[in-house]
Amino acid sequence: MKRIMAMILAGGRVDELKVLTLSRPKSTVPFGGMYRIIDFPLSNLMHAGIEKVGVLSQYHSASLVRHIGVGSSWDMVGRDRGMMVLPPFKSAVNSNWYRGTADAVYQNLDFIDQFAPDLVLILSGDHVYHMDYRELVDYHVRKGADLTAVFKEVPIEAAHRFGIATIDNEDGQVGGRLIAYHEKPQHPEAAWASLTIYLFNTNVLKQVLAQLMASQTNSYEFGHDILPAMVHSHKVYGFKFDGYWAYSRTIGEFWQANMDLLCEQPPINLHRWQVRTNLDHRNLRDRTPTVIAETAEVHNSVIYNGCHIAGRVTDSIIFPGVTVEAGASVSHSIVMFDTTIKRNCMIHKTILDTDVVVSENCQIGGGAQADAIQPSDMDGVTVIGQATILPTDMMIGSECVISSYQKATQFSSKIIPAGRVV
Amino acid sequence: MKNTLAMLLAGGVGSRLNVLARLRAKPAVPFGGIYRIIDFTLSNVMNSGLNHVGVLTQYKPYSLMKHIGTGAPWDFVGRKRGAKILPPKTGEKDSDWYRGTADAIAQSLDYIYRHQPNFVLVLSGDHIYYMDYRAIISFHDQTNADITIAVREVPIENAHQFGIAITDSQNQIIDWEEKPQRPKSNLASMGIYVFKTDFLIHALENRSGHDFGKNVIPDNISSHKVMAFRFQGYWQDVGTIQSYWEANMDILSPQSDLKLRDWKCRTNLEEEGLLGDRPPSYIAACASISNSIISPSCRIEGEVVHSILSPGVVIRKGALVQDSVIMHDTVIGENCRLDHVIVDKDVIIEPDCQIGIGANTCANQKFPTHLSSGLTVIGKNSHLPAGMEIGRNCIINALTQPESFDSRQLKCGATI
Repeated sequence: MKRIMAMILAGGRVDELKVLTLSRPKSTVPFGGMYRIIDFPLSNLMHAGIEKVGVLSQYHSASLVRHIGVGSSWDMVGRDRGMMVLPPFKSAVNSNWYRGTADAVYQNLDFIDQFAPDLVLILSGDHVYHMDYRELVDYHVRKGADLTAVFKEVPIEAAHRFGIATIDNEDGQVGGRLIAYHEKPQHPEAAWASLTIYLFNTNVLKQVLAQLMASQTNSYEFGHDILPAMVHSHKVYGFKFDGYWAYSRTIGEFWQANMDLLCEQPPINLHRWQVRTNLDHRNLRDRTPTVIAETAEVHNSVIYNGCHIAGRVTDSIIFPGVTVEAGASVSHSIVMFDTTIKRNCMIHKTILDTDVVVSENCQIGGGAQADAIQPSDMDGVTVIGQATILPTDMMIGSECVISSYQKATQFSSKIIPAGRVV
Repeated sequence: MKNTLAMLLAGGVGSRLNVLARLRAKPAVPFGGIYRIIDFTLSNVMNSGLNHVGVLTQYKPYSLMKHIGTGAPWDFVGRKRGAKILPPKTGEKDSDWYRGTADAIAQSLDYIYRHQPNFVLVLSGDHIYYMDYRAIISFHDQTNADITIAVREVPIENAHQFGIAITDSQNQIIDWEEKPQRPKSNLASMGIYVFKTDFLIHALENRSGHDFGKNVIPDNISSHKVMAFRFQGYWQDVGTIQSYWEANMDILSPQSDLKLRDWKCRTNLEEEGLLGDRPPSYIAACASISNSIISPSCRIEGEVVHSILSPGVVIRKGALVQDSVIMHDTVIGENCRLDHVIVDKDVIIEPDCQIGIGANTCANQKFPTHLSSGLTVIGKNSHLPAGMEIGRNCIINALTQPESFDSRQLKCGATI
């Protein structure tokens, strides 16, 4: 049995997610009614029995540090188990921020050395998927690979957004040797997209990182800098994955991935995946069961503890602590922790971040989309930032972005047309 | 505040809860969707800032021990805090089992000695209420009482079920009646006592019998200062099937003083099969829910009216559940009808069953005192075959399998 540890890259912000990543990294954006995105890779690690984990953090680390805690939520506390958040640091020889994914791992090689692993699994904390990493490890060991990366087939027209590999046919649907790799190619020739899951032999990882640091470069990314070179110098394999995998790098994709939970047989099977989250974060432990009042109507929705629903909720994801008052209607929306929607509001196709208050008689989302001259990646979704208080009678169109921490008095107009950023 | 040690009596058999307490102690009976009865008292201890609690178990302690674990859910883990299970110790004779409430505390005196508290707070794990014990402790301290007993006013016609205090104008108890036929007062004991530790040790050494209500309290009324602390607020002894059901329904009533949201009640979410591993609930497009409590990881396709659902309950299409309490992971098949039914954990009800039908014409024949109000109760891990018609006041025992049903009909008052 190989000794294996994992390093999770969890410190990145994604500009396209706008206010959702204003004060948190993408890895801790709430998802699926009670989770954070990073819960999915962390639960995968738990189920795979990989119990030594470093979590690399950088952008707004408070929410990540609080969420990870000591790692006990993922059973990572014990004599031979442990999880630790690794923020950037100053040292005698180095005082850089993490300059990229490869640099972040490089700066923490001493952390890796403490465990003396045979293999290092490098993951992103930004994606929603269910995967048994043990199959990847088995394949890697069987092939005697230096590096095995995971790929999923995507439509060729979307391939320019990913790292794209050409994989030979050595093991059919299981995987094969990497023949070529291009990071976000303008004219992709293949459609195997990297899921940014890399399994390295530890000595190879150290060697390629040292080479990269010695070279004249200002880019320090696994995808951009390490993989393309290794294809020629090392034994690099591609492991093919055909399960559900949500990239959710735009508001539209994030919204859709949440909506994917809402059907009779959802591709995200939360029961089967057994995803865990930290129940101490946002005091999930103190939440009472959800009350569905006499005036309520709830259809095709996902809902956890601690809510009070007296209005109409359809096709929506409702997080703990949400209140929907009588006469209000919420459809095709994501309502995050402790947000309150007051009487007679109409909310459609909107993401409400945590602790938002929508005062009486507001109409948010839906209606005509913004002008088609500038195509948007928001797919018609409106976003309201964390802890913003909307005054009564607001009318907010589709594809609007309302900033976080706005007070009711800061809205000068009652009408915000489609596509505006406030 | 004076150093106070909480001792929680959690060995109750709860025989009147019938099948609900057959396989578990009464304090471990599930309540309010995600809780167990004992959570209310344990949370009160936590919310009162008391750091140590001894939990005295006896009857079927396993689910209780599993539930309390290290006490971490109620913040009892730390250098100066702890929750300890205190089981009866095997002595030289069989009679060393706990013989009563006072005997249980007497057998645990070494635990009390070790903590050297000024006061000992004796609690019961059988009741649904919210109380900040700091009020009764400081009352006890200020009045320099030897014993303080929490009491509440009850309708005089119910007073015969309780220990009854007769007080003077200063709230000192001058007389005591244990479950009297003709009560002289309506101040009922809540089974909550604060003792001066030295006095408690003295009183236990000189006790005339093994029960606080029957022996220790009456023995000391005339010789010592025994005070009554009046409590106002919601309190329910969920000792019968009817009162258990009513207290559950109180959660749904906006007029009731049972306010889960304000009570800061906690439960153990890590316990195997409990909330730690459970996703949110899914409410399907064809579902209809009103005036109900829904716990996580339910799947609701049918209609739910005025009911309490624990985690993992599945209600299939076309089913209707009303005025009912459905516990963990029970599956209710398509087109079933449930009316005034309590269903324990892990029950499978196959399609087209009708449960709780017809008029309430007679009490349960085997246990007429347990079940006469029209509720039907289905025990844990039962499996009901399709198309059953079950009347009111029926009891289906735990682990009943389809082949145990001779006919497709069970009349009002039947037991299987």
